[in-house]
Amino acid sequence: MKIDNSLPLEYSTGQNQINILGFWIFIGAEIMLFGTLFAAYFTLVDRTGNGPTGADIFEIAPLLIETFVLLTSSFTIGLAIHAMRLGKQKAMMTFFGITLLLGLVFLSVEIFEFNHFYHVGAGLQTSAFTAILLTTLGTHGAHVTFGLFWGLSIVLQVRKRGLTPETANKSFIFSLYWHFLDVVWIFIFSFIYLKGLM
Amino acid sequence: MSELFPRKQVMGFVFSLILTAVALLVYFLDMPFTTGMTVLLITAFIQAALQLVVFMHAGETGDRGSIYTNLYYAIFIALVTVFGTLLTMIWGYI
Repeated sequence: MKIDNSLPLEYSTGQNQINILGFWIFIGAEIMLFGTLFAAYFTLVDRTGNGPTGADIFEIAPLLIETFVLLTSSFTIGLAIHAMRLGKQKAMMTFFGITLLLGLVFLSVEIFEFNHFYHVGAGLQTSAFTAILLTTLGTHGAHVTFGLFWGLSIVLQVRKRGLTPETANKSFIFSLYWHFLDVVWIFIFSFIYLKGLM
Repeated sequence: MSELFPRKQVMGFVFSLILTAVALLVYFLDMPFTTGMTVLLITAFIQAALQLVVFMHAGETGDRGSIYTNLYYAIFIALVTVFGTLLTMIWGYI
């Protein structure tokens, strides 16, 4: 295995570079996944039938918490990668921990919100609108849930093995995933919530 | 301690908070629909670009060309899907 010391650890081997490029290609496919969900959402947003509209069920308080929490977690995972490049494993672990904690807060608020939707009569089968709304939000939420377990296993692995080209590569790829989830949330926040509330 | 908070990323975070606040004005100021949508489109796309460049280090290595090509391709296809769907399912009937 050839290690190039002029590059950050996560890029230091050929395998690592290919892994990162491969993950970008995966993100391309994810963009398309959310693209189709948004296309379906915009088509069905007015098909509310006898159910509520977006303006009836969206609430600003949970939305604000979710947005700021996820935005901050995207910042802290960026700081974690920065600390990793400085070789400061302890700081990196702290930032990773904060990120996962914020992810957990986001998920809790989202579950609370889904519960609220259900109680005001917006279930998965109420109307075409509520179905696509919950599918889109749920797909994003499922990604965050998966990310929490993935991030946790990376924390455990770095703690056990230290910073090696492999663990640094995995941590960096996780950070790409987490930032991507934040990007998706920005679009959900703007074109589902704010557009609905406008 | 300060070396753990690089200027570029802190500025990126502050800027993304500002963009979020601007997007929220749409809700708090009671704008007309078209103005509101224009504001949202601008803030959302700037913020997405900010994440990609500042936090995801998209242009950092030799693979930069492949990464951006793949990304632009994905975004292009997603936009064609979204606007093509709107055209055939909604706008075409008005």
